[in-house]
Amino acid sequence: MGEKERVRAGLFSGRRPDQMLEAELSWIASLVLFFSTVYVVLKVDVLWVVFGIAAICLYVLPIVTMRNLFRALPWEMTVLLAAPLLLHISAGARSMNDRFAWWDDLTSLAFALSLATIGFLLTVELEMYTSVRMNRPFAVLFVIMFTLGASGFWEVGEYIDDEVFGSSYLRSNCDAMTTLLWTSIGGILMGLFYAVYLRVMPKKRLSTFGFMHLYEVPKWKRG
Amino acid sequence: MEERLKLASRAMQAGMLGIAVAGLLTANFTWMPAAVLSLFVSIVPSILRRDLGLVLPIELNFWIVLALFLHVIGGFSGFYDNVPGWDHLTHAMSASLVAALGFVVVVSVDKYVESISLPRPFLAFFIIMFTMAFGVIWELMEFSNDQLTGSRLQSNLNDTMFDMMFDAFGGFIVGIAGAHYLIHTTPEHFVESLKVEKTKEKISGLLEKRARSKGGK
Repeated sequence: MGEKERVRAGLFSGRRPDQMLEAELSWIASLVLFFSTVYVVLKVDVLWVVFGIAAICLYVLPIVTMRNLFRALPWEMTVLLAAPLLLHISAGARSMNDRFAWWDDLTSLAFALSLATIGFLLTVELEMYTSVRMNRPFAVLFVIMFTLGASGFWEVGEYIDDEVFGSSYLRSNCDAMTTLLWTSIGGILMGLFYAVYLRVMPKKRLSTFGFMHLYEVPKWKRG
Repeated sequence: MEERLKLASRAMQAGMLGIAVAGLLTANFTWMPAAVLSLFVSIVPSILRRDLGLVLPIELNFWIVLALFLHVIGGFSGFYDNVPGWDHLTHAMSASLVAALGFVVVVSVDKYVESISLPRPFLAFFIIMFTMAFGVIWELMEFSNDQLTGSRLQSNLNDTMFDMMFDAFGGFIVGIAGAHYLIHTTPEHFVESLKVEKTKEKISGLLEKRARSKGGK
């Protein structure tokens, strides 16, 4: 089969079944992310709108610039991105929150994981589209710091939302501090996790994503 | 101008020494150690200059001493409790200080580590996030201190959130000012004025010496 014919044979041909499955999982998760964001937009939930749009942009950017639907993020990352939004808007989560004391901590942790994922994707996509270059230790530092800083801005945003628009995110100082504690723990764990994530990912899988290796400058140990 | 800043720094260091002595005399054992510690920290830049040849900009040096001085005198004279907004003032000061030190480190890293390249807009973003992250760590420290020892460093939610807003404010100012500053002077020039090159040589010299003495054993 010639090159042209293969293109004509369709987008999905020549993909292994496991590749297809992974891509489909990622697309489904991204749809969840998309519709949750639409929901918070309709609800005018400003903070979560910002979060959702940032996550969607990071998801869509590689797909659009490379014009290839298979340049989607790994599905596990997309799930992490969508999870806190889904936890935030679902009514089931609210009743769990009333029933279990630890549910709130779990939500905070999920939020931390997705913030760290956004930080990681920022390192990747900044290297793709700008002249920013990082080596691994710096990238790990950036992911951890980004998570901490973003959660700090988030708490301040919730506070302003409470004061100005009369929402009730933060009940007490202890409440806010526990959230920050969980996000810091999650941020540090994820920062360290992403340091080994790409090294332990099978080469074959890494090559299907096509750009995730941009996390760090290759051969940074020499310079 | 430089002479005046230097003089002011010395005066504030003398003030801190005075507070340390006064704290000892009046048995104020919460702020006496704080004064001694702050005095020591304010001397660190001079030590760096003497032993490593690292020269911090005089304004930054002044800012470090001023932030420490305001903190110590505020604690000792009860300004934290009596003067409204004192806490926020010192927060904004120390946050901008952290941001400035972060700026110095990051610009040096940008120049000396070849695999790292940080354009100006990213630098500003980094400084802002770094300062906020530091503010979060600070609040968490206060919180855990309160929980563990029963102290009352954090009074309520409003107070904590305003602290963090002032942290963010300090970070924004320094991040944007720093990025703007680098338009006029290249990172190379800025780093050269710090004499980091000399420091690097001294440190590597020290390390070599150490390695040699270890090898001799």
